[in-house]
Amino acid sequence: MPSVSELAEVESVHQVAELLARAAAEGRRVSIEREGGEVVVSTARLDQVLEHEAGDLTAIVEAGVRIRDLNERLAAAGQRLALDPPGNPTIGACLAADLSGPLRHRFGAARDLVIGVTVVLADGTIASSGGKVVKNVAGYDLAKLFCGSAGRLGLIVRVALRLHPVPEASRTLVAPVDDPADAQTRARAILRAPLAPSSVDVHWPGRLAIRFEGAARAVEAQLAAARALVGGDEDDGAGWGEAEERQAAARGRLLFAPGDLAGALAGLDEAVVRVAAGVAYVPEPVPDPRDPVEVALAERVRAAFDPQGVLV
Amino acid sequence: MALPGDLRRLLPEGAVVDRPEQLRTYECDGLTGHKVVPSLVVLPETTEQVQAVVRACHAAGTPFVARGAGTGLSGGALPAADGVLISLARMNRILELDLESERVVVQPGVTNLQVSEAVIGDGLFYAPDPSSQQVCTIGGNVAENSGGAHCLKYGFTVNHVTGLLVVLPDGELVRLGGKALESPGPDLLGAFVGSEGTLGIATEITLRVVPRPESVRTVLAAFDSTDAAGAAVSGIVAARILPAAIEMMDRLTIEAAEAAVHPGYPDAGAILLVELDGPVPQVEEDLAAVEAICRSCGAWELRVAADDRERALLWKGRKSAFAAMGRVASDYYVQDGVVPRTKLPEVLRRIADLEREYGLRVGNVFHAGDGNLHPLVLYDARVEGEPERARELAEAILEACVEAGGSLTGEHGIGVDKVCSMPLLFGSDDLEAMQRLRRAFDPVGLCNPGKLLPTPRLCGEVPGPYRAHPLEKAGLAERF
Repeated sequence: MPSVSELAEVESVHQVAELLARAAAEGRRVSIEREGGEVVVSTARLDQVLEHEAGDLTAIVEAGVRIRDLNERLAAAGQRLALDPPGNPTIGACLAADLSGPLRHRFGAARDLVIGVTVVLADGTIASSGGKVVKNVAGYDLAKLFCGSAGRLGLIVRVALRLHPVPEASRTLVAPVDDPADAQTRARAILRAPLAPSSVDVHWPGRLAIRFEGAARAVEAQLAAARALVGGDEDDGAGWGEAEERQAAARGRLLFAPGDLAGALAGLDEAVVRVAAGVAYVPEPVPDPRDPVEVALAERVRAAFDPQGVLV
Repeated sequence: MALPGDLRRLLPEGAVVDRPEQLRTYECDGLTGHKVVPSLVVLPETTEQVQAVVRACHAAGTPFVARGAGTGLSGGALPAADGVLISLARMNRILELDLESERVVVQPGVTNLQVSEAVIGDGLFYAPDPSSQQVCTIGGNVAENSGGAHCLKYGFTVNHVTGLLVVLPDGELVRLGGKALESPGPDLLGAFVGSEGTLGIATEITLRVVPRPESVRTVLAAFDSTDAAGAAVSGIVAARILPAAIEMMDRLTIEAAEAAVHPGYPDAGAILLVELDGPVPQVEEDLAAVEAICRSCGAWELRVAADDRERALLWKGRKSAFAAMGRVASDYYVQDGVVPRTKLPEVLRRIADLEREYGLRVGNVFHAGDGNLHPLVLYDARVEGEPERARELAEAILEACVEAGGSLTGEHGIGVDKVCSMPLLFGSDDLEAMQRLRRAFDPVGLCNPGKLLPTPRLCGEVPGPYRAHPLEKAGLAERF
């Protein structure tokens, strides 16, 4: 029998729970926002911003809300979600696929900005962890567990997020780098200086890009201090757009010890590199660097959350 | 128990403790109200020895509990009856300083402060700074996801751990993460940090250290009331300023601190300590704004620390606030609750009502920037019924925090202390989902049993205030 997949557009948490419970009972496999299952779930209509407490710098959103739409809304209150992955993915995708952009230098990735989550497990169980306060150590942090889970542990339906103020000013310095050793020397000079950049990328080959954000005068002063260290010129920010396109097209994420930037660059023709994180987005896929025991442990966790293997 | 002989063969001379008077040293951690004497204590020195002990326990079906410095406040290191306590005190070596990568690899028994001390000469420091940092260990920090006064800006332990070597509950060894900040697959590292020693024992920890800020400025502002100080906190947040720390103390805690360590605090209804750090121009701009905001909210005295000595003095009163309570009461109970910052005034009024209702005094000292309260419930243990009343009052404060949209604990953990309060915050499906994670790591339930997740056996018949909460009430509690 040819397998015909059915597209399910869910619009409420309870609908997700019913859909998954039914699929589990019928032995049908489900994939989230991608091909592969007999049922393909779209979260496009799980698109409500449920709560935005400006005074607490927190928001609770449904998983289908897109980053750009959320940030447009938050901007009215002078706030933002400091997460800038390429394209305009949903919050759910940012968690499930661990997507981030140059702002991760200062603000971290999705795992560092999520403070609570509600998920629907493959058998239809609705479960929450965390909450809507930033400081919270009650219970296991399932929100972090679901970061990078690629839709295999359950469907993320709601996410509580930590927000940050929109900075008054944002300016970028771009310095040329000649070779891997030069890139490392200049990048280290910035990282060890008493500066507080929001982004420090190497866009390989060719340049080091540094973004400063904050009060206008403070940004001005930091930009001047950085230029004194590594040279270069102020950039209108167009370079970030180009790097974003290259990151979006990258099929691999190469991990390295941040102190070995030169070694990592030496083997690469091109890459978008988050220097302090030790992450390089590269054109070709890279082998899974994990300890095989971790891979096996992750599989045990998956099997505990979805023993029937409903989610594919 | 057949274990002691076996373990002696696996461990170096003197690494097994079984004399009753020595075992009693390990009967509790910082939560002294709960005591269990372990059957045996072992002091391994290597990952292989930890692995051998855990394997032996797994094979014999013996529960085991890991312990660092024993400073935890929720009983996370409380021994299991008939179990083995694994002290990591001898695993206290710094294994690697990779300054180019800004990473430090340590064994779990290294103290929090030793990490900063190892890199401070190179202009770096380790950001999480729990108040017990001189003695508490990194292993314990990982288990509890420790924060500290400066986590408002710098985040928690989980934001600073990049890699772990873990002995899993069956004795298998797994490496999670490394020196990069990312790793493919579900974030097992992120789930492990803060799991209160229930998912395994970390024997090597890779930490991120960060450059010391160019400038640190600390200002003390005196107000007539906590409401006025609270308004200033809101004003600072609205002005797009992210201080390194914002701490508040109320009249009772100011008086106690003054009596105990003489920091020279003004006679005020509330004081705020605001610390700003970063590049000089940003700090100076923010400092001017913070001073203006405090004045506009009624601050009648502002003191900016002129140097490190003055800064240390401003912090001294705050850091000794818990101990200082001994000056105004014979006994006190420290609570740890969290509320959304904007709910602070409402919850403080509720605490004041509860003080009257229970006829006990409560001192309030808290991390105002992130809504983490530490109410200190004062009582006299010699007065019959007062200890119980104090516990009930502390529990009522916790309920008020949860009702305001907050949490049961911001940094002390669940442990045994709050395990039966978990249903206040989480429904049975939530707890069952967490249980799935635990079972995947520890199917037979030998690793720090009885902590973190409630069971009917634990909570069905516990006397006193920490009984299981009616489920219907949990259903009404506000959460998302």
